[in-house]
Amino acid sequence: MDELELLKKDWKKQEEGLPKLSYDQIYRMILKKSSSMIKWIFIISIVEFILWVSIDIIIRLSGKYEEIEVLGLEGFSLVSTILSYSILLYFIVRFYQNYRNIQTTDSPAVLMKNILNTRRTVKQYVWVNISFLALTTLIIIIYMVFYTDVYTQQSTDEHIPIYLIITTSVIVLAIFIGLLALLYRVIYGILTRRLKKNYKELQKLEV
Amino acid sequence: MNKELEHSFVTNLEQNQNIVHKVCRIYTNDAESHNDLFQEITIQLWKAYPKFRGDSKFSTWMYRVSLNTAITLYRKSKRSIKTTDFDSLDFKIKTEEYDDEVEQQLKLMYTAVKQLNDIEKALVFLYLEDKSYKEIAETMGISEVNARVKMNRVKTKLKKILNP
Repeated sequence: MDELELLKKDWKKQEEGLPKLSYDQIYRMILKKSSSMIKWIFIISIVEFILWVSIDIIIRLSGKYEEIEVLGLEGFSLVSTILSYSILLYFIVRFYQNYRNIQTTDSPAVLMKNILNTRRTVKQYVWVNISFLALTTLIIIIYMVFYTDVYTQQSTDEHIPIYLIITTSVIVLAIFIGLLALLYRVIYGILTRRLKKNYKELQKLEV
Repeated sequence: MNKELEHSFVTNLEQNQNIVHKVCRIYTNDAESHNDLFQEITIQLWKAYPKFRGDSKFSTWMYRVSLNTAITLYRKSKRSIKTTDFDSLDFKIKTEEYDDEVEQQLKLMYTAVKQLNDIEKALVFLYLEDKSYKEIAETMGISEVNARVKMNRVKTKLKKILNP
């Protein structure tokens, strides 16, 4: 292509018009803080971990766990607590390992892959958490229906059929999880849209 | 020790700053964004510098970190980028060296390059820097075949932009 060759010739001449920074100007630059995407991904990921742990702490402080224990679910409560903190620990370790793999000296392909992996770890953590939340709540609802008279009691007290209470509980749970998932997709999308696009572009044709 | 490292880094960068400026030219459209990107690339280079072992040339190593910053790490400013923004800050074509037709062609070419996506810009940049396909492939982390195919596509795309 002639035009590109022409451009190549002119490209060398462009060097004359480039800015020239002095030693001091460059030195001052290295003292400044970075505002790179990696930093943002790190901060947002940490916030996400903190957010999920706070939800757990809030539920504990509000006394919901005690209510469950009163119902005879002490064992279940203990197991689910251990499980949820093991999940947290596992994901934090994986997140840290992935984060440490991010090196700007790698090729763009490897760098983008590593950043996306790091984000994926946090994404997986959030999904595991949402599923875990849904599952434990469902188990508690089922337990309450079959092994306690909480719902039966409520049904008689408020003159509402029992199936309606159960259906409502499940619908509320579904809406809550749906909203959470939607919100998460939006945040995740904004954060990695450009990165994903570039990664795909670079990998096209690669087997 | 740290002072020594700082000194060797700043000296190296001062001597090779053209590479960073050229990356900034390809990826930004005004002086402010140019300086912004230059600043971020400098920080990323500095952060990676302790791991620079000198097994490759400083300049080769700079291409990677600079392109990585431009493609992946740098968050573009919100200001919209339109072709009309290409003002005198941009590529300066020396009129006295070319006839009108060539000059016009060059202007169009630079404008067309600005319309390419992030990856394509990187390929064109390395091509203009006279890098072989092997070097382009290595710098970008893709296969040589992929680099060739992609470069051909870029050429076709540029042709399309120039002759719509």
